[in-house]
Amino acid sequence: MITTLSKTWQALLDFFGPLALVLVIGLVIALTYVQINALFLVWLERKVAGHIQLRIGPKEVGPFGVLQTIVDGVKLLGKELITPRPASWLLFVLSPILVFTPVLVPFVVLPFGENLQVHDLNVGLLLIFAFAGLNVLAILMGGWASNNKYALLGAIRSVAQNVAYEIPLLLSAMSVVIMANSLSLRAIVDAQEGLWFVFVQPVAAILYLVGATAETNRAPFDIPEAESELVAGFHTEYSGMRFGLFFLAEYTNMFIVASVATTLFFGGWRGPIADGPWWFLAKVYLLIFGVIWVRWTFPRLRFDQLMNLAWKFLIPIGLVNLLVTALVLKLVR
Amino acid sequence: MLRKTLTDDTFYLNMGPQHPSTHGVLRLLLRLDGERIVECEPVLGYSHRGHEHMAQTRSYLRFMPNPCRMDYLAGLMYNHAYCLAVERACGIEAPPRAQFIRVICAELNRISSHLLWFGAYLLDLGGFTPFLYAFDDREDVLSILGEITGSRLTYSYCRFGGVARDLTPKFIELTKAFIPKLRVRLKDYDTLVSKNVIFINRTKDVGVITKEQARDYSVTGPNLRACGVPHDQRRCEPYSVYPEIDFEVITADGANGEGDCYDRYLVRMQEMEESLRIVEQALQRLPEGPIRAKGVAQEPAPPPGAYQYCYESARGMLGIYLVSDGSRVPVRMKWRTPSFSNLSILPILLPGTLVADTVAILGSLDLVIPEIDR
Amino acid sequence: MSQNESLAVILESSPQVTQLRRASRENDGFDFSLSIEPKGIPELARMLKDQGFFLEYLTAVDYGQTMELVYSFSKWIEPDRVQAVCPAWPMEAAPSICGVFPAANWQEREVFDMFGLEFKDHPDLKRLLLIQEEGLHPLRKDFVAGPQHSGDVVETEMV
Repeated sequence: MITTLSKTWQALLDFFGPLALVLVIGLVIALTYVQINALFLVWLERKVAGHIQLRIGPKEVGPFGVLQTIVDGVKLLGKELITPRPASWLLFVLSPILVFTPVLVPFVVLPFGENLQVHDLNVGLLLIFAFAGLNVLAILMGGWASNNKYALLGAIRSVAQNVAYEIPLLLSAMSVVIMANSLSLRAIVDAQEGLWFVFVQPVAAILYLVGATAETNRAPFDIPEAESELVAGFHTEYSGMRFGLFFLAEYTNMFIVASVATTLFFGGWRGPIADGPWWFLAKVYLLIFGVIWVRWTFPRLRFDQLMNLAWKFLIPIGLVNLLVTALVLKLVR
Repeated sequence: MLRKTLTDDTFYLNMGPQHPSTHGVLRLLLRLDGERIVECEPVLGYSHRGHEHMAQTRSYLRFMPNPCRMDYLAGLMYNHAYCLAVERACGIEAPPRAQFIRVICAELNRISSHLLWFGAYLLDLGGFTPFLYAFDDREDVLSILGEITGSRLTYSYCRFGGVARDLTPKFIELTKAFIPKLRVRLKDYDTLVSKNVIFINRTKDVGVITKEQARDYSVTGPNLRACGVPHDQRRCEPYSVYPEIDFEVITADGANGEGDCYDRYLVRMQEMEESLRIVEQALQRLPEGPIRAKGVAQEPAPPPGAYQYCYESARGMLGIYLVSDGSRVPVRMKWRTPSFSNLSILPILLPGTLVADTVAILGSLDLVIPEIDR
Repeated sequence: MSQNESLAVILESSPQVTQLRRASRENDGFDFSLSIEPKGIPELARMLKDQGFFLEYLTAVDYGQTMELVYSFSKWIEPDRVQAVCPAWPMEAAPSICGVFPAANWQEREVFDMFGLEFKDHPDLKRLLLIQEEGLHPLRKDFVAGPQHSGDVVETEMV
């Protein structure tokens, strides 16, 4: 049996090339990192929320409550996976899986350090945006298949919101791409050797950060999960680890979106002294801290105000920014 | 009719009775067309406990614990109003010290009710943090009131002819420390919430009540004052020691539109400041003396007739209509609660708005459903 | 006090008013109490609304042998309070004043719910607070709360 396995593996390698092995290892590392990241981020969010709200946050389980997330994960694993009888079973079960899986793939192209990138795809940015767009479909599946009016309303709002805010995201990323002349993330980081792009493209940076908060369904754009209006939005009917997967996907998405922001605008793994992955991680978590801070400070935007903000305000600004960048580059070069 | 149902794209959405944002057990039957509300019908009665029936079958003293359970956020005000109503019927007057104490406690209760409304309103709109700050302040008020009444939420502190217990020095000390602390916090709330762009966009020009609608639907309290009508029972039909105290009736000034959710919000926030002023003045003027009127029967039997008392509770005009036949048990006691009328305007405010506005409008009316259901 | 006098004149001239009594705000809580026939209620309500009054509440009182409807009207800012009492059961049903004061809609539904008194021409006279049970009118004097009124599950129509 072992010989059959090794022969199959050898055949696969011959067919796909050594790149396949690299990708597989990369994805496994990504999967592990996702768990550690979720562990840290959930703890960070609860502590930050607590301190903003005049209280401490988790403190019982582990020193400063660091083990709280693990305990919560164990609790979620132990819960019964309830499927409502009128729900459409296949779509219902498939939805959390489809929300979580595309979130792993962008790890393959993120440049954690100078040589710490699983594979430098020359259309890396395109890959990230393509896979980020898949979660819209999965949320719609989840909301529809739940056979629950609240879930459906939440899913519809989520689709509209995600589609609307993807465009300013792309426009601001495009401004950076035409400056760096490449879609490859490594090339973009290399192009920031002298000056980070956030100083050259401040408008695009703000646009990107706003769009990123909306893409990850975080407050003030968390209409799809608005607890006070729609009970729990599109994940009303999900219990146990299925809910856990939505949760995990949201925090991983936050990490990816912040990593892309770091790469595009804040110089990636570069720093004033000693370049390296520590700078990358520090910048990413600082941005995430900002996102968390915003969540616990502001109330929620109403849905039509949210859409108006995207279509009537952010998109025109993004277009103008792109045109101005193109014009300036044409004149300079 | 058939044609309407065939091409009718509307669907029914049930908000409640268990829902994070309907303040109490209220069921709103909404007919939606996509995200817009076409029709709204409130379904009531989930917290009906038969208080008026209890009033008809128990003596005045035995009924004393009930009023505070009707509106548990302004429990002391209901208790105060009940004692005032029975005192009017019997012709008793409480001594000045007791009246001042009652006013101090009622205004502190008003502050705690408005604080909870503020926290819950922001929570409904998605800002989770002010809730905890408001409750932090509210804890102070509850500790202060608990010092002399012994309860945190449902009070039976007033008696016919006075109050049950005198103020302690600790009460005065805690209150004097609380007043400046809340003033600082109110400024914080003003900066972080009242001037917040997202909050203003959610509440401006949403749920506008015109003066005609307010008259038609008997809207009272801060909701009415936000429409530009300076009607406050404490000023218009003064009772207790309010004539001696200098305070402003906070009314929306009409400069930026009138009667929308933002005006109702501002009126309540400023009312908290006025309540602090009232407490300060009452503490300064507090006379010495007895706290119970002499010779008052604790099981009163008012002379036969019909009596009415109108009181300014945290939510609006509280009316008690009392019919007595000379015995110790009333023939009828009608409680005209402000939230009853304030909710009846909802079915004309909602059609045409979005679901998200339901929450904003419902919250801005400051309803407590158990006082509607009694 | 000329305002009160002019109000007294207006009230006395209203049709169906059988008796007008002056009361005092400190002792009774209202300025005028008038007895009126049920037929005259909508006219009185309309007249008071033109004078700037609003409906505070509308309720009923059960005296055992008879029941009465009590209406209370008041004004903003300088509240003159007028109370109108009209005999109800076993007399004829009173007409509804929903057309004049929409606030009366729920108030009348509550009176129907608690006392069983009907209102003519009410747009939607159904119970407001209680369950759909025949003959359940708790605020009547002949109502006896029995074990069947606690904890039973009643089928309600679902939408």
